[in-house]
Amino acid sequence: MSFLRGTPWLLVKIVSLSVLDAIGIFFAVLLAWEESWLLVGLLCAGLLGLNVLAFSRRLYPLRYLAPGLFFMFVMVVLPLVYTVYISITNYATGNILSKSQVITLLTTRYYAPPNAPTFNFRAYGDEHGIYALYLFGPGSEYVLFPDGRISPTSGHNLVDLDGDGVPDLLDGYRHLSIAELTPWLSQLQALEVPFGEGVLRLVTLSTFRVYSRQYIYDPKNDRLVDLRTGKEYLAKGGNFVSADGEKLDPGWVTFVGLANYLRFFRDPLYNRAFVRVFAWTVTWAVLTVVLGFALGLGLAILLNDRRLRFRKLYRSLLIVPYAIPAFISILIWRGFFNVEVGLFNQLLSQTFGVRVPWLTSPFWARFSCILTNVWLTYPYMMLVSLGALQSIPEEMYEAAKVDGATGWQRFAHITFPLLLVSVAPLLIGSFAFTFNNFTLIWLLTRGEPVVEIGSRAGATDILLSYAYKLAFMGGRGSEYNMTAALAVIIFIIVALISGISFTRTRALEEVSRGL
Amino acid sequence: MAFRRRSPRFWLGRLVRNLLAWMAIAFALFPAAFVLGTSFDPAQNLRTAWIIPTQPTFANYLYIFQERQEINFPRWLLNTVYVAGITAVVSVFLCALGAYAFSRFRFRGRRSGLLTILLVQMFPQTVGMVAIYLILQTLGKQVPWLGLNTHPGLILVYLGGAIGFNTWFMKGYFDTIPRSLEESALVDGATPFQAFWRIILPVARPILAVVFVIQFISVYSEYLLASLILKGTDKYTLAVGLQLFIGEAYNRRWGSFAAAAVIGAALILVVFYALQSQIISGLTGGAVKE
Repeated sequence: MSFLRGTPWLLVKIVSLSVLDAIGIFFAVLLAWEESWLLVGLLCAGLLGLNVLAFSRRLYPLRYLAPGLFFMFVMVVLPLVYTVYISITNYATGNILSKSQVITLLTTRYYAPPNAPTFNFRAYGDEHGIYALYLFGPGSEYVLFPDGRISPTSGHNLVDLDGDGVPDLLDGYRHLSIAELTPWLSQLQALEVPFGEGVLRLVTLSTFRVYSRQYIYDPKNDRLVDLRTGKEYLAKGGNFVSADGEKLDPGWVTFVGLANYLRFFRDPLYNRAFVRVFAWTVTWAVLTVVLGFALGLGLAILLNDRRLRFRKLYRSLLIVPYAIPAFISILIWRGFFNVEVGLFNQLLSQTFGVRVPWLTSPFWARFSCILTNVWLTYPYMMLVSLGALQSIPEEMYEAAKVDGATGWQRFAHITFPLLLVSVAPLLIGSFAFTFNNFTLIWLLTRGEPVVEIGSRAGATDILLSYAYKLAFMGGRGSEYNMTAALAVIIFIIVALISGISFTRTRALEEVSRGL
Repeated sequence: MAFRRRSPRFWLGRLVRNLLAWMAIAFALFPAAFVLGTSFDPAQNLRTAWIIPTQPTFANYLYIFQERQEINFPRWLLNTVYVAGITAVVSVFLCALGAYAFSRFRFRGRRSGLLTILLVQMFPQTVGMVAIYLILQTLGKQVPWLGLNTHPGLILVYLGGAIGFNTWFMKGYFDTIPRSLEESALVDGATPFQAFWRIILPVARPILAVVFVIQFISVYSEYLLASLILKGTDKYTLAVGLQLFIGEAYNRRWGSFAAAAVIGAALILVVFYALQSQIISGLTGGAVKE
C-alpha cells in the first residue's frame, strides 16, 4: 500500500477532488438558477472547506474528524439552533409563509363585483381536445386558447355554416358539445386570464366572468386595502389586521420574542396543561428510577450472594426485559392492560371478579406506565449494581464483621453509600432518559386518558409527548412555535440535570481523565 | 460437592433466596413466555388466546410472512435491518476515524472539541423533532431522495445522533491500545491513515463489533423519529408498522401480532446473548471499575 504516499496517490487525490468539485459546482449553478442562495452559500462553503481540508497540513487531524462532525452538525447542532429560532417566532399553521409571499397571495385574490362583465362561450376543437373558446358578451368578442392566450376575433376564421348567428367552425375546428367538453373541464377551471384590471374565470359550463382584484398593497403605509369593502388592514404581528380586529389569513413568520414561553406560564390553556404535564413527568421519572433501582439493587444483592446456585443462569434470565426491543415489550404490555380483553383483567375477573380500568382512568394509566417502565429498567439497574457491588473490597465487610455490625448495618453503612457513589451518574442519566422516554408513553397510552376537555395534554403525557402533540396532532393545527418553546424548556432542564450530574458526582473526574 | 452438616437456618436462607430469584424470573419472563405461547395459538383474540395453545399451529407465522399491500411485515423487517445496518456500519467507520484522531493526534482544539461533542451529545435528538422534520422537508424539495418518507433521510438523522457517544466510547478504547503498535509502522514510512486502517482497526475489532451492535439495536428500536419521517406503509420500520398493525386490535389480531413480536425480538435476542458481556459493559459503561 506504499502507493498511498507517492505521486500516483497524489494524482488520484487530485482527480477525485476535481470530480467532486465539478459535481458540486454543477449543483451550485442549478441552485443559483432557482435562487436558493442560502443553499448555494452552504454548498460553496462546503466545497471550499473540502479543498482546504484535502491540502492543508495543519488541518490534517480534521480530515478524520470532519465526516463525523458533519453529520453531527447537520442533524444535532443545526436542529438545536433551529429549534431555538422557531421558539421565538410565530411559526405555526397560518403563519408559515414569508411576508412577501403573503402579499403576493392576497393581492392575487379576486372577487366578482355584482356588475362584472360576463361572457358566454362555445368551445371548438376535435377529439384530441379543445383548440380554442369563442367568448362573446355585450359588445365584445374574443378567442381564448386553453393555455390562457386571448386575442380579438379579427385574426381568426369564424364560419357560420347554417346562418343561425352562431359560428360552427373556428379556424377549421368544429364546435364541441357540453358532453365533449366535460373531460377538459378541470383545464378550463384552472384558467386565470388577465383581463383589464382583473382576471377572466370560468363560472358555469357556458360562461366566463371578469373577476376583480380584492386587495391592493400599499407599501408606504404597509397596509392592504380591501377594494370590495374599502376596509384597511395594517401589518401587525404577522398578520394584516383591520381596526376592528379582523385578521386576514394567512399570516407570515415573524419574531415574537419570548411570547411563546410566556404562554406556558400565563395563558391558562397552556399553563394548566404545562403544570400538570411537568408534575407528572418529574413524578414518573423519579418513581421509575427509584423503584427500578430498588428492585435492581435487591436482585443484584441476591445474585451476589455466593450461597445461591445457578447465578449465571439467573442473571441471564433476569435481563430478558433488557434484551427484547422495548417497543415490542411495550405493545405486549399494552395488550395485557387492555380493559376488555387484556390478560390482567381476565385473571382478575376470574379470581376476584373485579376489573381494573388500567389504561382508561388517570390513576391506573399512570400506574401502568410506571409498572411497565420498572419492568423495562430494573435489569439495567441490576447490572449496574452488580458491577458496583463487585468493586467493593471484601476487607471492608470483614472489618465490619469484626466490629460486630449486623447485616443491615453493613448494607446501610458500607454497601449502599459506596454503591451510590459509583452509580449516581448512571441514575441521573437514567432519570434524564426516562424524563424524555417518548416511546414508552406513546406506545402504551398515547398520553391518554383525557383529563381536561379541550386540552391536548392527557393524564400520562410527558413534556416530550405533549410537545409532539402540539406540533403533529390535528386539532388547532401545527403549533411548531409552541413545540419549539417546550423543546427549549426541556433542553434547559436536561442541561440542569447534566450540570448536577457533573458537579456533584464523580462523572467529571472521568471526563477529565478521558481528555 | 460433599454433604456437610448445615444448620436449618442455612437451608431456609437458601430456600428463600431461590424462591425470590424464581419469582423475579417469573416476573421477567411472563410477557415473553405468554407471547411465545400465544403465537402458536390460532385464536386472534387476546381474550381467548392462552399461553399453552390447545391446537398449536404455525398459521400465525405463515400469515405474517405473506406480503400484503397495507400490512407488509417482511418488508418492514427488511426496512428496519437495512436502515439499522447502514446506520451502524457508517457510524462505526465515522466514529472510529474521529476517535483515532482524538486518541492519537495532538492538535489545537482537541480538548474543547471533545468537550463540545460531550455537551452536544447530552441533548436528546428527539427533542429537536420539529426542527429535524422541517429540515428534512426543506432538504427533500432540493434532493427528493433525502427528504421526508425516505430511508436515506432517516439514516442521515440517525447518523447525526450516533456520532457523539460512540466517538467517546471508541476513543476510550483506542487510548488503551499501546502506541508502540503503530509507531514501528510509522517509522517504516506508513501514513497515519495506513496505521489506522491496517493496525488500529484490526486490533480494535471487538470494540467495533460492540459499537456496531449497540447502534444497530438502538436504531432497530427507535420509534419517534421513524414514525415522524416515514409515512408510506411500504417505508415503515418494524416499530412503526407493528404499532399501527396492533393499534386497538388486541381482540382480532393478537395471534399474528404475537408471531411478529417473536420474530422481531428473536433477532435482537440472539445478537444480545451472543455478545452479552461486551454489550453490557458498553451500555453500563462507567459504573464498573477495577
